[in-house]
Amino acid sequence: MSIQTAYSKKSLPDAVSDIRTQCGNNKPRVVLCFASTKYDPAALSKQLQAAFPDACVAGCSTAGEIANSKMLSESVVAMFLGEDVVEDAALAVVENLSGDPEVVEAFAHFERHFKTPVMSMDLEKYVGLVLVDGLSGSEERLMEKIGARADVFFVGGSAGDDMKFKKTHVLANGRAYTNAAVLALLRLKKGFEVVKTQSFKVTDKVLVATSVDEPHRTVIQFNHKPAIKAYAEAVGVTVDKAASVFMEHPLGLMISGEPFVRSPQRVQDEAMVFYCQIKEGMELRVLDATDIVADTRKAVEAKKAEWGRIAGLIDFHCILRTLELRSKKHCDQYGAIFNGIPCAGFSTYGEQYLGHMNQTSTMLLFR
Amino acid sequence: MAGQIKRMLDSLIEQRAKKNPTLINTTKSKLLLRGIDPDRFDQTSPDDPAVISKVICIAGELGIHVS
Repeated sequence: MSIQTAYSKKSLPDAVSDIRTQCGNNKPRVVLCFASTKYDPAALSKQLQAAFPDACVAGCSTAGEIANSKMLSESVVAMFLGEDVVEDAALAVVENLSGDPEVVEAFAHFERHFKTPVMSMDLEKYVGLVLVDGLSGSEERLMEKIGARADVFFVGGSAGDDMKFKKTHVLANGRAYTNAAVLALLRLKKGFEVVKTQSFKVTDKVLVATSVDEPHRTVIQFNHKPAIKAYAEAVGVTVDKAASVFMEHPLGLMISGEPFVRSPQRVQDEAMVFYCQIKEGMELRVLDATDIVADTRKAVEAKKAEWGRIAGLIDFHCILRTLELRSKKHCDQYGAIFNGIPCAGFSTYGEQYLGHMNQTSTMLLFR
Repeated sequence: MAGQIKRMLDSLIEQRAKKNPTLINTTKSKLLLRGIDPDRFDQTSPDDPAVISKVICIAGELGIHVS
């Protein structure tokens, strides 16, 4: 069956029947689902697991969904991964995230399941997925813990709640969880690649975080000046206009020539609160927005040209990008990038790859 | 005194990556995301106790001993 996708806008339980019907008689090894808050997460998770009793079923709530060539809202989307794609898979739930997330038991479970030490797993065959409560504020610590335990790449997104900012959910094994993360570890037959794309030009303007409140994702000072003053100077706007250019001018932590985007959320007195942590001493570049559709198309087309075909793609797509696409009425153009590729994804409250970041399309591509 | 941070980071990266270029790259990336830029330290970098303590803490989480 390889990789298939489906979506439904019906209510429960019809939405799950609809999704099951679109899968035909196939028996996927893994079912991933991303759903609007229109759906009760506990009921959705239970019904999906019942509809696919032999599959690993995982998912999360969203701030918008993506299926094949459509950017959707108020829907549930699913991706079915067949046995010819995923040789084996295991799920683990990490609860109580907002304290100090502990992944020891999750990785012990993976080692028991695959009968292989995680540190010995082949990086080209194994890939991890991470779906995490997008309001827990714990993504950085979770990714640090995962990154300490594993060299296998974990990629994923922070669950959304349709911009209500009240409660997000992750789904696994017929249950729904909040203040939790779902980890899925897949052993693939044909390989994969993670493509992280963001649409920004890196400028030569540098801001060094000289005073921070890491747990609250707040920068108090850049370059030994009140954060918002230093930011406004660097971007070339007045302090009172600075917040209006946050989306066009986030900051980038440069890693191997690529920015890991840190998006400002709001001004708090003269400090700046971000959607992800900035550590004290971090050197950041001011970024200038470019064209999301053109840049993402280029990244996907390049991989298509290299591989000949992309068997499937999961798109963890930042809600800030979705908002920009909606405001510019570019959603159809963005969706069209994935024509001919089985694709599912969602608008996230942050993306994960090595760490936690913002304003990217972080994509897992199946070969 | 100088150079201890570079020696510790070199040791951490070597022990974790075991000369695998992909792992050298990802280990450096993980350090950067934790606020330590390995390329900013050389033999002349002062032995800043706060940075040394941070590197020891990260190494401990990675299950690596550095000194």
